[in-house]
Amino acid sequence: MSNQDLAPKVKDLIVRRLKLDIDPSTIQNDAPLFGEGLGLDSIDALELVLGLEQEFGIKVEDEEVGVKAFASVDALCDFIEQKKIA
Amino acid sequence: MKAPAELPHAYPFRFVETVLEPRDDAFSRGRVLVAVSANGRAAAGEAWQSPLLLAEAIAQSALLLEGGDPEIGRKGFLAGVESFEAMRPPRAGETLEVRVRLAGRFGAIVKFDGEVFCGAEPLARGSVLVREGGSPPPR
Repeated sequence: MSNQDLAPKVKDLIVRRLKLDIDPSTIQNDAPLFGEGLGLDSIDALELVLGLEQEFGIKVEDEEVGVKAFASVDALCDFIEQKKIA
Repeated sequence: MKAPAELPHAYPFRFVETVLEPRDDAFSRGRVLVAVSANGRAAAGEAWQSPLLLAEAIAQSALLLEGGDPEIGRKGFLAGVESFEAMRPPRAGETLEVRVRLAGRFGAIVKFDGEVFCGAEPLARGSVLVREGGSPPPR
């Protein structure tokens, strides 16, 4: 599955799990999720970790890996793809 | 097993007493006994007025069971409450049982699912977010 196919699912996961009041399609693929951009915080990061595990069957081993994976929607799609291959 | 001194909380804000079932390695479960005080404050209706304090009891139970490393217990604190539902506040003299399960962790933030029972009666259920460490979470 390409990032183009995966990105809408990832955006839907972000909006749904974090109860964001936005249209998922308005999230830019390369926009930062934390700090600037969506402005997510460390508590949101944990919710995304749980969402990835429950909905994609993917575990985020540690914080260092997670910080890179959660950089943007594109980064998260790449991370999911890599985990599926591994 | 009596609750050790891992928690910094003291009366009237210490809600856990005795560890009934220590956590397993994966923290798939753990149970803590809470004896609701029947002292003067409770008798005057001043204790446990907010059912949200049951969420604090879940957090204290989680930190106590997370234990092992006293540093965690001493420095951990409640950082958030999610999907919390309280059926009724506890009454003075009741003995409550808090059941806790680790839901997940990322960095210093840890999420626990918990339930509070009085006998077979459920009093509250929900998830708490606990931050391990002494400083506020970075944004």
